[in-house]
Amino acid sequence: MSRTRLRLAAGALVIAVALTACGSGGSDPDGSTDAGGPTAAISVAITDPVQLIPGRQTVAYDFNMAVWAPLTWVDDAGETSMLAAESIESEDATTWTITLQDGWTFQDGTPVTAQSYVDSWNAVAYGPNAWENSGQLANVVGYTDLNPAEGEPATTEMSGLTVVDDLTFTVELTGPDGQFPMQVSQGQTAMYPMPESAFDDFDAYNTHPVGNGPFQLTNDYVENESLVVERYDDYAGTEPTVDRITFVPYTDTTTAYTDVQAGNIDIAGVPAARLPQASADFGDRLYSFEAAGISYLGLPLTDPRYADVRVRQAISMAIDRDTINEVIYGGTFTPATALTPAVEAGTPEGICGEYCEYDPEAAKALLDEAGGFDGTIDIYYPGGSGLDDLYNAIANNLRQNLGVEAVATPSTDWAEFYDTRLAGNLTGPFFSRWGALYPSQQNTLRAFYVENGGCANCIPYYEPEVAELIAAADAEVEPDAAAEAYAAVQERIIQDFPAPPLFFETYSYVTSERVAELPTSAVGNPTYTAVVLNEGA
Amino acid sequence: MTRYLGRRAVELVIVFLGVTLIVFLMVFALPGDPIAALGGDRPLPANVIAELRGRYHLDEPVLQQYLRYLGGLFTGDLGTTFQGQSVADRMSSRWPVTITLALTAWGIEVVLGVLLGLFAGLRKGRFGDRLVLAGTILATSVPVFVVAVTAQLVLGVRLGWFPVAGTADGWPSGYLLPATVVAIFGLASVTRLMRGSVIDTLNSDFVRTLRAKGLRERRVVGVHVMRNSALPVMTYLAIDLGYLLGGTVVVEGVFNLPGVGQLLFQAIRTHEGPTVVGVSTALILIFLLTNLVVDLLSSVLDPRIRHE
Repeated sequence: MSRTRLRLAAGALVIAVALTACGSGGSDPDGSTDAGGPTAAISVAITDPVQLIPGRQTVAYDFNMAVWAPLTWVDDAGETSMLAAESIESEDATTWTITLQDGWTFQDGTPVTAQSYVDSWNAVAYGPNAWENSGQLANVVGYTDLNPAEGEPATTEMSGLTVVDDLTFTVELTGPDGQFPMQVSQGQTAMYPMPESAFDDFDAYNTHPVGNGPFQLTNDYVENESLVVERYDDYAGTEPTVDRITFVPYTDTTTAYTDVQAGNIDIAGVPAARLPQASADFGDRLYSFEAAGISYLGLPLTDPRYADVRVRQAISMAIDRDTINEVIYGGTFTPATALTPAVEAGTPEGICGEYCEYDPEAAKALLDEAGGFDGTIDIYYPGGSGLDDLYNAIANNLRQNLGVEAVATPSTDWAEFYDTRLAGNLTGPFFSRWGALYPSQQNTLRAFYVENGGCANCIPYYEPEVAELIAAADAEVEPDAAAEAYAAVQERIIQDFPAPPLFFETYSYVTSERVAELPTSAVGNPTYTAVVLNEGA
Repeated sequence: MTRYLGRRAVELVIVFLGVTLIVFLMVFALPGDPIAALGGDRPLPANVIAELRGRYHLDEPVLQQYLRYLGGLFTGDLGTTFQGQSVADRMSSRWPVTITLALTAWGIEVVLGVLLGLFAGLRKGRFGDRLVLAGTILATSVPVFVVAVTAQLVLGVRLGWFPVAGTADGWPSGYLLPATVVAIFGLASVTRLMRGSVIDTLNSDFVRTLRAKGLRERRVVGVHVMRNSALPVMTYLAIDLGYLLGGTVVVEGVFNLPGVGQLLFQAIRTHEGPTVVGVSTALILIFLLTNLVVDLLSSVLDPRIRHE
């Protein structure tokens, strides 16, 4: 619409101005042309969220980050600073004391207290609620009491949470964890507080959630209809740069992309299929944010054909990451050179060395040295997710450079792929990726290299020694020491080279011409509260 | 007539039971655990999965689940999704979109198709006829997806004549472009069918008689030829209405219209049994009902057809 409609509106405005000029004889010399008022509004394309409650949402991060404020904030440099918290401290990295800033209120006017946090976390962790994000609290003492292996839990509260006073509570963890302050940052939405009214009726709360953040929801959530949030005047944190955000649900991300092109919506994520052309379509209105995501080519380590480390290294060296990045991702990704995304502080970039560099001759030589490869390399990946080009390219690389038969086969859908990988029934290399919700090496290393650490069977390599090294690094509170300890873990893992890392991911967004600057954080999402609009937009 | 209706009603019930059972079994047979996949590539804790499986009775044998579902249907409960939404609510908010889209497309097919077919049939072999025929071949040979994306890019983005996506503009402007895209295939078929039918009718004896007794050409074509040519076209149009209601998935996706096609597509991807069964059963019932209406109407148009 828009273009025609804008033109019509502009035409109407001209006529109206002309009429007033004639009629009133110029009593208003300035002319009230800013008919829209000083309201700065943006519209953002989203996937219909269904669940808006922070403990439940899986695709409503953008909305959650607008309506809630986290305890800590990780900025674009990966530094953690206090936001809703005054301080988060610990002597032993096991028991943490969280002090809240005074004077914060929920958007219904009630104060944000230590009790709000404790009640919310208990509700998220309570087994019978079966909330999707409850795993984020799994390291709090008492989580297992709320989630017994059988039967109903005997209690509704985690014993590890203690309210000290209105603004202070303590959290006891099951083991020392120096990364805890980062675990309560913006991406871990299960840690957001809910007001007292939420606990009466979670269905009603999901229809109209109330948070402690810079924006409040103005309408009730209705499936497939826009969510409109407006600036919350009593917000105690930094004032947002925009007054209103409209979240518009799209069933097809490609359509959202097209709608940004037409200028009907301001910001949308770039679907995989549009990455190669996004730069040509949008120029400097394409933003590719370094994110805490990394992809690997998982390998079936139980298969004896992959048992020799040289085979695994040869596979890695046979993959032309640069060309794949250019052709499939439009050059927005970065070929991986370490085991965790570069955006995670202290990641030892380049630790993978020659094995992450494309060298077909050396790859072939190494494979021959290891005695060659018997049979077909059968790559398996989730179908219907836009991954076909990537895995076909990798299969081509392996076939051409290693002289081994290689094919890529998709599953019917995600559920089928996930089941097969969980069961460990894979006969060839497979899709493995992890996007960390907080940008610490800890999150990525745990996900891949600790059993039940998150990315189940992504790389079925669970060395007790590695788990111990990770636990030792967890105990470091001082950020630099922790980063170094995690880097040492990578040093250890790379000796075994369990699977080839592929790409450090970026999350790409495009904006309309109204947007001058779209800021981000190390989590990789846009920071909508700090969007800069062009003059007159 | 009453006996005929009764027989058709029994047929409806049998088809209904059969379809729900088959669709239910098919969804159940899809590989993979829908609950485990609920969290995307972020795994849900084991007890969350167990709790949800129990809550939605996924731990029961499939036949028991089916009977439970049927029992729910008789009390007016269409079930819930794995995220706790009522299937009835989800469907009721989406039917208006799909019905509006399908009826708009159908309207385009009826009006344009019949007119173009009549035009071509009356000018058989001349330039106008050739042009229409060539157009119908083009329309049937280009995939809907290509037409949809091209129309969206050219008419929506470049020229800005139509909204690119969404129903915010309401009817008609928000639906016109997607409905035209949906209608194109059927439009071509209706045109060709109408053309052929008109040519046949024009060649028939009774038209020659009408002309011979001096009836005005306008009346010959406007009343007699139209009515006699309409029967095969109408049968096609009725079947097509059912097809339009169920076949809008692609176009709803491209133009971001929240209709049942999208709902069905998403539900199949997430293995939401109750939603898939609910939507497909409704679609099949509509299909059967429109066919029943056509069969009844055909005896109005052609009194030789009797329903005993």
